Amino acid sequence: MSERQPEMHERRILGTELLWSFGVGVLIAATLSIIVFTALTMGINPPSNVERIDPKALHLSGEFAEHNLGTSVAADGSVTARIIATQFMFVPRCIALPHGRPVTLRFAAPDVIHGILITGTNVNTMVVPGFVAQVHTQFTRSGDLLMPCHEYCGLGHSEMWATVQVLPEGAFQPDRDGRVSCAQR
Amino acid sequence: MHPDEPSAADSPFEVADEVDEVALAAVMRHVPLGAGVLAGAAVALLVLGYLLIYLLVFLPRGTVG
Repeated sequence: MSERQPEMHERRILGTELLWSFGVGVLIAATLSIIVFTALTMGINPPSNVERIDPKALHLSGEFAEHNLGTSVAADGSVTARIIATQFMFVPRCIALPHGRPVTLRFAAPDVIHGILITGTNVNTMVVPGFVAQVHTQFTRSGDLLMPCHEYCGLGHSEMWATVQVLPEGAFQPDRDGRVSCAQR
Repeated sequence: MHPDEPSAADSPFEVADEVDEVALAAVMRHVPLGAGVLAGAAVALLVLGYLLIYLLVFLPRGTVG
Protein backbone atom coordinates (compact mmCIF):
# COMPACT_ATOMS: atom_id res chain seq x y z
CA MET A 1 0.00 0.00 0.00
CA SER A 2 1.29 3.45 -0.82
CA GLU A 3 2.57 5.80 1.86
CA ARG A 4 0.04 8.44 0.78
CA GLN A 5 -2.89 6.41 2.08
CA PRO A 6 -2.84 7.89 5.66
CA GLU A 7 -2.57 11.34 4.18
CA MET A 8 -5.73 10.72 2.15
CA HIS A 9 -7.56 9.51 5.26
CA GLU A 10 -6.54 12.61 7.13
CA ARG A 11 -7.70 14.83 4.30
CA ARG A 12 -11.08 13.09 4.20
CA ILE A 13 -11.50 13.40 7.97
CA LEU A 14 -10.48 17.05 7.83
CA GLY A 15 -13.06 17.65 5.10
CA THR A 16 -15.76 16.04 7.24
CA GLU A 17 -14.77 18.10 10.26
CA LEU A 18 -14.85 21.31 8.25
CA LEU A 19 -18.28 20.39 6.91
CA TRP A 20 -19.45 19.68 10.47
CA SER A 21 -18.05 22.98 11.71
CA PHE A 22 -19.92 24.78 8.94
CA GLY A 23 -23.17 22.97 9.86
CA VAL A 24 -22.79 23.79 13.56
CA GLY A 25 -22.02 27.41 12.65
CA VAL A 26 -25.24 27.58 10.62
CA LEU A 27 -27.23 26.11 13.55
CA ILE A 28 -25.77 28.57 16.06
CA ALA A 29 -26.45 31.47 13.69
CA ALA A 30 -30.05 30.25 13.19
CA THR A 31 -30.63 29.93 16.95
CA LEU A 32 -29.22 33.40 17.65
CA SER A 33 -31.31 34.81 14.79
CA ILE A 34 -34.49 33.36 16.34
CA ILE A 35 -33.62 34.96 19.70
CA VAL A 36 -32.83 38.36 18.13
CA PHE A 37 -35.91 38.19 15.87
CA THR A 38 -38.31 37.48 18.76
CA ALA A 39 -36.60 40.16 20.88
CA LEU A 40 -37.04 42.79 18.17
CA THR A 41 -40.46 41.87 16.81
CA MET A 42 -42.26 40.42 19.83
CA GLY A 43 -40.45 42.14 22.68
CA ILE A 44 -39.37 38.87 24.29
CA ASN A 45 -36.13 39.21 26.20
CA PRO A 46 -34.79 38.62 29.69
CA PRO A 47 -36.14 41.21 32.15
CA SER A 48 -33.49 43.80 32.81
CA ASN A 49 -33.87 46.77 35.13
CA VAL A 50 -31.25 48.42 37.26
CA GLU A 51 -33.08 50.69 39.67
CA ARG A 52 -31.96 51.22 43.22
CA ILE A 53 -34.22 51.58 46.24
CA ASP A 54 -33.50 51.79 49.95
CA PRO A 55 -34.63 48.42 51.40
CA LYS A 56 -34.76 49.81 54.96
CA ALA A 57 -37.34 52.47 54.06
CA LEU A 58 -39.65 50.57 51.68
CA HIS A 59 -42.68 50.79 53.99
CA LEU A 60 -42.20 54.40 55.05
CA SER A 61 -43.03 56.36 51.94
CA GLY A 62 -42.81 56.31 48.19
CA GLU A 63 -43.73 53.73 45.65
CA PHE A 64 -43.73 50.66 47.89
CA ALA A 65 -45.58 52.15 50.88
CA GLU A 66 -48.49 49.95 51.95
CA HIS A 67 -51.26 52.10 50.45
CA ASN A 68 -49.56 51.95 47.07
CA LEU A 69 -49.17 48.17 46.83
CA GLY A 70 -51.25 46.06 44.47
CA THR A 71 -52.54 46.86 41.00
CA SER A 72 -53.18 50.37 39.78
CA VAL A 73 -54.27 51.73 36.42
CA ALA A 74 -52.74 55.08 35.47
CA ALA A 75 -54.57 57.85 33.63
CA ASP A 76 -53.00 56.72 30.36
CA GLY A 77 -54.42 53.22 30.92
CA SER A 78 -51.12 51.54 31.75
CA VAL A 79 -51.39 48.78 34.35
CA THR A 80 -48.74 48.44 37.06
CA ALA A 81 -48.63 46.02 39.99
CA ARG A 82 -46.35 46.76 42.92
CA ILE A 83 -45.51 43.86 45.18
CA ILE A 84 -43.25 43.45 48.19
CA ALA A 85 -41.58 40.10 48.66
CA THR A 86 -40.66 39.57 52.28
CA GLN A 87 -39.99 36.64 54.61
CA PHE A 88 -42.32 34.74 54.16
CA MET A 89 -45.09 36.32 52.17
CA PHE A 90 -45.95 38.55 49.28
CA VAL A 91 -47.82 41.79 49.93
CA PRO A 92 -50.49 41.75 48.64
CA ARG A 93 -51.23 38.01 48.65
CA CYS A 94 -53.43 38.30 45.56
CA ILE A 95 -52.75 40.46 42.51
CA ALA A 96 -55.47 41.21 39.97
CA LEU A 97 -54.27 41.77 36.41
CA PRO A 98 -56.00 41.99 33.03
CA HIS A 99 -55.92 39.41 30.27
CA GLY A 100 -54.45 40.40 26.89
CA ARG A 101 -53.13 43.80 27.94
CA PRO A 102 -49.53 44.91 28.60
CA VAL A 103 -48.80 45.02 32.32
CA THR A 104 -45.77 45.99 34.39
CA LEU A 105 -44.87 44.09 37.54
CA ARG A 106 -42.58 45.79 40.02
CA PHE A 107 -41.10 43.96 43.00
CA ALA A 108 -38.98 45.03 45.95
CA ALA A 109 -37.64 43.13 48.96
CA PRO A 110 -36.74 44.58 52.38
CA ASP A 111 -34.87 41.59 53.79
CA VAL A 112 -33.21 38.83 51.75
CA ILE A 113 -33.03 37.68 48.13
CA HIS A 114 -36.30 36.25 46.85
CA GLY A 115 -37.36 35.10 43.40
CA ILE A 116 -40.70 34.85 41.67
CA LEU A 117 -42.25 33.05 38.77
CA ILE A 118 -45.84 32.96 37.60
CA THR A 119 -46.86 29.47 36.60
CA GLY A 120 -47.75 28.95 32.96
CA THR A 121 -46.12 32.21 31.87
CA ASN A 122 -42.60 33.38 31.05
CA VAL A 123 -42.52 35.74 34.06
CA ASN A 124 -39.50 34.85 36.15
CA THR A 125 -37.14 37.15 38.03
CA MET A 126 -35.03 37.52 41.13
CA VAL A 127 -36.00 40.09 43.76
CA VAL A 128 -32.85 41.50 45.33
CA PRO A 129 -32.95 43.89 48.32
CA GLY A 130 -31.82 47.35 47.22
CA PHE A 131 -33.14 46.99 43.67
CA VAL A 132 -36.53 47.13 41.98
CA ALA A 133 -37.19 44.03 39.87
CA GLN A 134 -39.38 44.92 36.93
CA VAL A 135 -41.06 42.62 34.40
CA HIS A 136 -43.26 43.61 31.46
CA THR A 137 -45.65 40.98 30.21
CA GLN A 138 -49.03 40.26 28.69
CA PHE A 139 -51.13 37.36 29.95
CA THR A 140 -52.45 35.08 27.24
CA ARG A 141 -55.06 33.30 29.38
CA SER A 142 -57.23 34.24 32.31
CA GLY A 143 -57.61 32.40 35.61
CA ASP A 144 -55.82 32.06 38.92
CA LEU A 145 -52.09 31.53 38.55
CA LEU A 146 -49.73 30.55 41.34
CA MET A 147 -46.79 32.83 42.08
CA PRO A 148 -44.36 31.08 44.44
CA CYS A 149 -41.03 32.32 45.74
CA HIS A 150 -38.43 30.26 43.88
CA GLU A 151 -35.31 31.42 45.69
CA TYR A 152 -34.73 29.78 49.08
CA CYS A 153 -35.22 32.61 51.56
CA GLY A 154 -35.41 30.88 54.94
CA LEU A 155 -37.35 28.30 56.92
CA GLY A 156 -40.76 29.53 55.75
CA HIS A 157 -39.77 29.65 52.08
CA SER A 158 -42.16 26.87 51.06
CA GLU A 159 -45.09 28.84 52.51
CA MET A 160 -44.28 31.94 50.50
CA TRP A 161 -46.60 32.25 47.53
CA ALA A 162 -49.25 34.54 46.10
CA THR A 163 -52.01 34.30 43.53
CA VAL A 164 -52.15 36.23 40.30
CA GLN A 165 -55.76 36.59 39.27
CA VAL A 166 -55.85 37.21 35.53
CA LEU A 167 -59.24 38.76 34.79
CA PRO A 168 -61.00 39.01 31.43
CA GLU A 169 -61.07 42.58 30.10
CA GLY A 170 -64.71 43.07 31.16
CA ALA A 171 -64.07 41.98 34.74
CA PHE A 172 -60.98 44.15 35.17
CA GLN A 173 -62.62 47.29 36.51
CA PRO A 174 -60.51 49.87 38.38
CA ASP A 175 -62.20 51.88 41.16
CA ARG A 176 -62.22 55.69 41.36
CA ASP A 177 -58.59 55.72 42.48
CA GLY A 178 -57.54 53.46 39.64
CA ARG A 179 -56.98 50.50 41.99
CA VAL A 180 -57.98 46.94 41.17
CA SER A 181 -58.31 44.20 43.77
CA CYS A 182 -58.84 40.48 43.42
CA ALA A 183 -62.43 39.37 42.97
CA GLN A 184 -63.78 37.65 46.08
CA ARG A 185 -64.90 34.11 45.28
CA MET B 1 0.83 -8.55 38.87
CA HIS B 2 4.40 -8.96 40.15
CA PRO B 3 6.70 -6.07 39.16
CA ASP B 4 9.24 -8.47 37.61
CA GLU B 5 6.66 -10.25 35.55
CA PRO B 6 7.02 -9.32 31.86
CA SER B 7 4.19 -7.34 30.42
CA ALA B 8 2.27 -8.43 27.37
CA ALA B 9 3.08 -5.03 25.93
CA ASP B 10 6.76 -6.07 25.75
CA SER B 11 5.89 -8.43 22.93
CA PRO B 12 5.39 -6.76 19.56
CA PHE B 13 2.89 -9.49 18.66
CA GLU B 14 0.63 -8.47 21.50
CA VAL B 15 0.82 -4.76 20.85
CA ALA B 16 -0.24 -4.45 17.27
CA ASP B 17 -1.60 -6.85 14.73
CA GLU B 18 -0.56 -6.68 11.13
CA VAL B 19 -2.58 -3.90 9.55
CA ASP B 20 -4.42 -4.89 6.44
CA GLU B 21 -4.08 -1.63 4.54
CA VAL B 22 -6.82 -2.52 2.05
CA ALA B 23 -9.29 -3.30 4.81
CA LEU B 24 -8.23 -0.14 6.66
CA ALA B 25 -8.79 1.97 3.56
CA ALA B 26 -12.25 0.44 3.12
CA VAL B 27 -13.15 1.22 6.74
CA MET B 28 -11.77 4.74 6.57
CA ARG B 29 -13.91 5.49 3.53
CA HIS B 30 -17.03 5.00 5.70
CA VAL B 31 -15.93 6.20 9.13
CA PRO B 32 -16.38 9.96 8.54
CA LEU B 33 -19.80 9.38 6.99
CA GLY B 34 -20.94 7.19 9.90
CA ALA B 35 -19.68 9.68 12.47
CA GLY B 36 -21.42 12.48 10.59
CA VAL B 37 -24.72 10.60 10.43
CA LEU B 38 -24.58 9.72 14.15
CA ALA B 39 -23.64 13.21 15.32
CA GLY B 40 -26.00 14.82 12.81
CA ALA B 41 -28.93 12.72 14.01
CA ALA B 42 -28.17 13.55 17.66
CA VAL B 43 -27.90 17.28 16.98
CA ALA B 44 -30.99 17.23 14.74
CA LEU B 45 -33.03 15.66 17.58
CA LEU B 46 -31.70 18.27 20.00
CA VAL B 47 -32.58 21.16 17.67
CA LEU B 48 -36.00 19.65 16.98
CA GLY B 49 -36.67 19.46 20.74
CA TYR B 50 -35.54 23.07 21.17
CA LEU B 51 -37.77 24.28 18.34
CA LEU B 52 -40.81 22.33 19.57
CA ILE B 53 -40.47 23.72 23.11
CA TYR B 54 -39.80 27.21 21.76
CA LEU B 55 -42.80 27.23 19.41
CA LEU B 56 -45.30 25.18 21.42
CA VAL B 57 -44.45 26.17 25.02
CA PHE B 58 -42.36 29.34 25.21
CA LEU B 59 -44.07 31.59 22.65
CA PRO B 60 -47.70 30.77 23.68
CA ARG B 61 -46.82 31.78 27.27
CA GLY B 62 -46.73 35.40 26.21
CA THR B 63 -44.23 38.18 25.97
CA VAL B 64 -41.81 39.05 28.72
CA GLY B 65 -39.17 41.69 29.01
